[in-house]
Amino acid sequence: MVRKGGTDLNSWRVACAGFCFCIALAAAPARAQDGEAEAPPIEFHGFASQGFILTLKNDYLAEDSTEGSFEFAEVGFNFTKELTERLSTGGQFFAQDLGPTGNFKPQIDWFYLDFRAEDWLGIRAGRVKIPYGLYNEFQDVDSARVPVLLPQSVYPLQARELFFSVTGGEVYGFLRMGGFGALDYHLYGGTFFLDADELTPPGAGFELAMHVRYVAGGRLFWETPLEGLRVGGSYERVRVETTALIPGLTPPLELDSRSWLYVLSAEYLAGDLLLAAEYGRGNDLQTSNYPEDQPTIDTTNERAYVMVSQRVASWFQPGAYASVFFPDVENREGRAQRQLDVALTLRFDVNPFWLIKAEGHFLYGTAALKKGLNVNPPDITQAAEYWGAYFLKTTAHF
Amino acid sequence: MKRLFLVLLIFALCLSAGAWVSADEAPGYRIVVHPSNPVTSVTRTFLQDAFLKRIKRWPNDELLRPVDLEPRSDVRKSFSKRVIGRSVPAVRAYWQQRIFSGRDVPPPELASDQEVISYVLRYAGGVGYVSAGADLRGTKAIVVRD
Repeated sequence: MVRKGGTDLNSWRVACAGFCFCIALAAAPARAQDGEAEAPPIEFHGFASQGFILTLKNDYLAEDSTEGSFEFAEVGFNFTKELTERLSTGGQFFAQDLGPTGNFKPQIDWFYLDFRAEDWLGIRAGRVKIPYGLYNEFQDVDSARVPVLLPQSVYPLQARELFFSVTGGEVYGFLRMGGFGALDYHLYGGTFFLDADELTPPGAGFELAMHVRYVAGGRLFWETPLEGLRVGGSYERVRVETTALIPGLTPPLELDSRSWLYVLSAEYLAGDLLLAAEYGRGNDLQTSNYPEDQPTIDTTNERAYVMVSQRVASWFQPGAYASVFFPDVENREGRAQRQLDVALTLRFDVNPFWLIKAEGHFLYGTAALKKGLNVNPPDITQAAEYWGAYFLKTTAHF
Repeated sequence: MKRLFLVLLIFALCLSAGAWVSADEAPGYRIVVHPSNPVTSVTRTFLQDAFLKRIKRWPNDELLRPVDLEPRSDVRKSFSKRVIGRSVPAVRAYWQQRIFSGRDVPPPELASDQEVISYVLRYAGGVGYVSAGADLRGTKAIVVRD
């Protein structure tokens, strides 16, 4: 069941244990090696955000958002410690509330043990943010971007489980190539946890068990000789096995889902001007052991956006984007089969540690109203075709 | 539709306004390294990569230890614009992305030239920038090539 207004005791225990680990690291004397100066001290950083959502005509992200909702908050706290010249560790604790999900249940967003052998070769083990597209790794962090919502076609908050972190390992590096620019690459593999309770609608009458067999992928960026311009691509494959325990059904319903996704990216940063564009496609193939009742699903989706922002003053940065999403490239007819989102953001940095954002969205189509893994989606064919969304958000960070 | 057009027009005016606020007030600075560092000159690209921590090592394999002045410093604004190619707020935005995705942490931000020089003297791989008239106290000034 979805836990609303409560917290998971075990999660808090994990968070407390992690916090104690940080304190122990901070208290440990930094070792001086062979006359070298001491290593830098442990670093702590954090953020806290509170948002307000108001939508017109359709509820979006939060239940009853057409009446306004404050269920849009995040808090995070991290530490980083250089253990030796090539070895470092770190971790981030994170909790959020987004409509019916999150409910401030603390989780370890990322943690790692990192060995940087060379500039062009690093190895990282633990739970790492998935390097996908230009901005996925900090999608949770309001202070790290201009929009309140990143373009939801490419960075869907409602499919957070599929995109955010992978528990396993990563190989990465940065290679400068003289006059030909530089390459920045990441390869990763592992698994992630899907909370079946959060994906099962209340009163559904069945139980779900989900197992992520693997997630693997990579990202390559070329920093071109034109300063500030980088282009590249990301690719990811995921396999998820789901068992649905439905009363009276023996054997249980087994679903095997295999997905792939790619996105091509370009970003140009010149002074305080940012231009970005991304285009991608993904495919979901789902088979079951009851093909008559659960026939094979094989759909390919398409997504793209263009975005611009300009820091006009040190305290003011407007931005805008246009984003499109088609959940099935074979069928683009009807409001449920498309989503166009035009957004305008005003970001105000009150001081170096505090910011306020206001954002408006004009939306056409209803594909965004369907939650990524929701087994009981709303009837989006009947929702309003033209609708709007407004966001106010404030964030403190250090 | 007219309302949407009006909003986009206002936004475009805001963007164009950005071009007028980039006044070029550029106080001079010098790049300083530890006296044991054999390097006498570096490219601007090398310094950019070093201060964004995209590279970690000097050519002699010594660990790079970049150090910044505080964000309000005019010397930092000048260095950031000329060497990094971004404004100080843009660089801080870059570090927000790196910090909270677990990729890296920014160089320390120190309040004065003398603190930067003390930091550079403490670490064999230290590199910083100070105002053109600063007392270098034994640190070595190096040349930046384009």
